[in-house]
Amino acid sequence: MSASAPVVNGATSRDLVAQPSWWARLAPYRHEMALAVLLVVLFVAAAIVSPSFLDLTTQRALLSHDWELAMLTLPMMLIILTGGIDLSVGATMALASVVFGLAFTRTGSVGVAVAAALGTGVVCGGLNGLCITRFKVHPLIVTLATLSAYRGIAEGMSLGQSVSGFPASFSQIATMTVAGIPLLGGLYLIFALMLAFKLARTPVGAWLVAMGYNETAARFAAVRVDRLKVALYTYSGLMAGAAAIFFAARRNTAKADVGMGMELDVITAVVLGGTSIFGGRGTVIGTVLGFLLLHESREWMSWAFDYDELNLILVGVLLIASVLLQRVLSGRSGRRA
Amino acid sequence: MIAELWLGTLRDVAVNAVPTIIVACGLTLVVVTREIDISVGSAMGVLATVLGLLVSPARFGMSLWVGIAAVLVLGAVIGLVNGALVVWGKVPSIIVTLGTLTALQGVNALLLHGEQITQLPSALRYLGVGRIAGIPVSLYLTAIVVIGTMLLATRTALGRRLYAVGSQPDAARLAGLSEVRLKLFVFAFTGVLVGVATLASVSQIAVIEPNLGRGFELVVVTAVLVGGTSIHGGRGSVVGAAIAAIVLEGVRTTLILLRLGESATYWERAIQGAFILIAVLIDLLVRSRRATVRRA
Repeated sequence: MSASAPVVNGATSRDLVAQPSWWARLAPYRHEMALAVLLVVLFVAAAIVSPSFLDLTTQRALLSHDWELAMLTLPMMLIILTGGIDLSVGATMALASVVFGLAFTRTGSVGVAVAAALGTGVVCGGLNGLCITRFKVHPLIVTLATLSAYRGIAEGMSLGQSVSGFPASFSQIATMTVAGIPLLGGLYLIFALMLAFKLARTPVGAWLVAMGYNETAARFAAVRVDRLKVALYTYSGLMAGAAAIFFAARRNTAKADVGMGMELDVITAVVLGGTSIFGGRGTVIGTVLGFLLLHESREWMSWAFDYDELNLILVGVLLIASVLLQRVLSGRSGRRA
Repeated sequence: MIAELWLGTLRDVAVNAVPTIIVACGLTLVVVTREIDISVGSAMGVLATVLGLLVSPARFGMSLWVGIAAVLVLGAVIGLVNGALVVWGKVPSIIVTLGTLTALQGVNALLLHGEQITQLPSALRYLGVGRIAGIPVSLYLTAIVVIGTMLLATRTALGRRLYAVGSQPDAARLAGLSEVRLKLFVFAFTGVLVGVATLASVSQIAVIEPNLGRGFELVVVTAVLVGGTSIHGGRGSVVGAAIAAIVLEGVRTTLILLRLGESATYWERAIQGAFILIAVLIDLLVRSRRATVRRA
């Protein structure tokens, strides 16, 4: 999808003038290709060591653990693409989860609870966006503060209690399949495709890349930077609310420690997917591949070696290694302010 | 009687704030040079586990001095690894230390295997509960660290260079300052202080468990920012961070003393987050006022 939009992502104007060969045209996507190769290597290794891991039913069951993570990578990719970061997604998810639980116990209606959780997500994300744009504070600091604040409010509101006992009709959305495709996986794919289209084929997509590449220049080009930023963080909050709902459906519980450390997994998947932490570069296909690589390597590690502790080390090392890898692949030296 | 009680409470607050104060001294210098280190909590967890494994008679049962040396050296190594990835790998410090935060958590889990380490040697307890002239030993240690770091920051050429690199990196480079060496130094220095803080905090507790140090980075970052250090680098005070750490601990103690019931402890983190936001907003006001003054 993004492969057909050379102007937007990574390609320079020189590439367009020179009428490049197919190989040169793919060059801006070497990170994505490297990821695809790594994924294939991983599958081959898995096929040799533990063939049962590649079983379709196993794969589907394992993927169902991570749909929330997958959903959250999409807004995070856009935020990092524009040079920001959102550390509060896990905490927002927790607050939305607690609100979901409380709304359900008060009203007994899943519909009200869903609306309340989504609303909480929107408010949390919108607040992040407003603090970042109105007060001109770095997103890192704002979302670090709201990380404690949101999780703290979730803990305070729930007093450490969890809510469960949601109706079976609600819980089944976690296991439901449409034409053999899990409902949540299908939703994720639709969102990803929509986002890829938006990024590659609409003005908004071009604005976002421009913002990440050079915010000042984007402002001079009449891009409404602040409004877009608020929208992005709100979108991130909304997805965190949705993730809280999926989590409640999957685990039949809503409590304040939901999504603990989730922000790190999300950021790792996005950065692994080739989105530049300095802004200005990022593709949806890369993000999907980054998510898959993180998910598959983590699950395989648990499957084959039975050491959950290794997963944490793996995520940390992958995060740092992927930024290093990006620098090597892009050949860009030094940090851009 | 009342005065005694009051002093006693103040002393307890100060003692509880010791690990935060010590690490905040190092982190202040890191933030002054426009970097950040959020791996301090996980690093503390790993160092505590290593210390426990080495000195507990139930484990390796080595001499306490070996344990202390190992903790300080390992702390420096962790700091140097962070610093090396930042200055040579050119990876932003937030990403590096977010990565090491997780990786070290994994290392700690691997070392501990979900168990606890008890039976720490009694000599170690001296640092936590011992007193000289009625004042806890750990407070002397803290005073040395705070005054030492303050002198380093304000009275030495090295200190001035750190502030120079943080406030005007380009100018500092043109003046011939080595950003690489200065940043490696602040990360390693913070690592060593995490080692010192680990010694102080392990000596106060009887048991080393997997959750030790979790969330500690947030408390330290809060103390540094509330203490008046600008997240944009170039400005910051070690003493301010120390005072902020005591104030934050005081708020926590007050919450407990107010007997609001168990629910108060659940709100602690929310208050912490509010404090960071307030600190950042004050920083913002100060900056905008300075800008107006300069323009006028």
